[in-house]
Amino acid sequence: MAPLTRQRKKALAAAAGPSIAPADRLGALPDDALRRILGFLPAKDVVRTCVLGRHWRHLWKSASGLRIGSAEEPAACGDKLMEFVGSLLQARGGSPLETTPKLNHETNLLNLINPSLVNGYYEPDINRWIRHAVMCHVRVLFLGFSRTLHWFEVVSLPLVSQHLARLVLFMLELNGNFLDFSSCSVLEQLEIDHCRLQSVNRISSQSLKSLSIIGFSVLACSFHTQIRSPNLISLHMECITGRAPVLERMPSLVEAVVDINLSQAKKLVLSANIEMIIFRRDLIWCPIFSNLKTLLLNEYWCVPGDLSALACILEHSPVLEKLTLQLFCEGSKSKVQIKGSPDPAKRSTAISEHLKIVEIKCEVLDQKIQNVLEFLSKLNIHSYSLHFEE
Amino acid sequence: MAAADSCDGISTSGGGWEKTVTLVSSDDARFEVREAAASLSQTVRRMIRAGGDGGIPLPKVDARTLSTVLEYCNKHAAVPAPAPESSSAEAAAVDLEWFDKELMHVDLATLCSLIRAADYLEVAGLLDLTCKTVADMIKSKTAEEIRQMFGIQNDFTPEEEEQLSRENAGVFE
Repeated sequence: MAPLTRQRKKALAAAAGPSIAPADRLGALPDDALRRILGFLPAKDVVRTCVLGRHWRHLWKSASGLRIGSAEEPAACGDKLMEFVGSLLQARGGSPLETTPKLNHETNLLNLINPSLVNGYYEPDINRWIRHAVMCHVRVLFLGFSRTLHWFEVVSLPLVSQHLARLVLFMLELNGNFLDFSSCSVLEQLEIDHCRLQSVNRISSQSLKSLSIIGFSVLACSFHTQIRSPNLISLHMECITGRAPVLERMPSLVEAVVDINLSQAKKLVLSANIEMIIFRRDLIWCPIFSNLKTLLLNEYWCVPGDLSALACILEHSPVLEKLTLQLFCEGSKSKVQIKGSPDPAKRSTAISEHLKIVEIKCEVLDQKIQNVLEFLSKLNIHSYSLHFEE
Repeated sequence: MAAADSCDGISTSGGGWEKTVTLVSSDDARFEVREAAASLSQTVRRMIRAGGDGGIPLPKVDARTLSTVLEYCNKHAAVPAPAPESSSAEAAAVDLEWFDKELMHVDLATLCSLIRAADYLEVAGLLDLTCKTVADMIKSKTAEEIRQMFGIQNDFTPEEEEQLSRENAGVFE
């Protein structure tokens, strides 16, 4: 029997009506939609679709997503999986993991979860897959190794991609410069969950808009990890241990959930330009910084005429010992330094009873600084030294 | 200014005054929707920007499909609660998930119409939802089961089939 063309098939199906032979519903969809459907299937199921019919023969190779290993495929393991993925990637060649760039949703995805990769034996392979995904213009990359107590070690070289928009890292050990995203020009979302970052010096990206570090992720213990992400809009840090990170200037930040078991933090530097209105709302749920002893804030926390954000953060820092307000200046170059301390006879209940020293660094002693001094004096904090740099 | 031309009215919903637009299906049914909801469709959003009178024509979507698409858009573009307490935000997410699940309880023909509509209208969330629903139907089924479910003809010659199974020997275990 001569093979039917798709058109003839459709005509036949339509003529016969659904009761005899149901029309090829999926065949009537645009190929882009079919690739998207295939992108949601686990890799094994995707490959199987090649036998459905002629139209499907090669379609799987350009599925818009690639999900290798998943909670639904717990049986995948070891050598066999490696071999399978190797031939899968070879068959795909450079097929983009991005079929419809206009829609940026969860479709373009490499999802690597495998419970059974419990030793480092396969690490070179998996690192190669990551490179491959990046080469295929992956937009959303989910890297995770679940249900194992082994933290998979990711190679230390930074990723280079003009397409990667969202990166999710789960249960990974991150090293070296991997979190330097200066070569990922459109990366906007970074989620770090249950990861170890002890040897990461810096997380940096020009394009990043949303950063979350959550789920008992561990930051460096012997130094402060720097977060350099000047275009960040949303910052979410929750349940992390290690030393509190140093947040560099983030002039666009509007939302910060710093529900820090940084409440465990001993030193916190917040020099973000935060839209005060939104932040004040968040401060209603401001966590108690129960271990915070040193706090450095900049002028954005001291808006003229409204110092309630400053008051709130002070109220929530019960063991604070030293407060530094670095106002309208670079800390090391400030021309004016004012030191003060709470009046031991009339301590305000709105501040930590351990507070010993308040330092203000600024360029000139103007009205704005006067306002801050007035605010402090209402808390019975009085200045005792005024120092002008030459 | 031009954008205002395609905005037919203003309605109250969620306690505030909101701009609405009129969408016209292929079978000439008119739907008045909040602009915020309609704008979940990138196609409609571009047309609102371009302006025009008498509603936005959508010649590739019939009334039945469009009403489902708009049901999705209205729900997903709902006015967010003023106080984002974490518990209520979570509840809203659960509610949305439940809504999506319910919306996908349709027959295959409707589902495919929705995919085509979401693709044409560029409603990213709905396109993903519908494609994922079809993917879930395919998951862990044999080739024959999939062919039967979707009415796919096996148009390979026996020789081709043999070749295929040789090529894929490793993949199918």
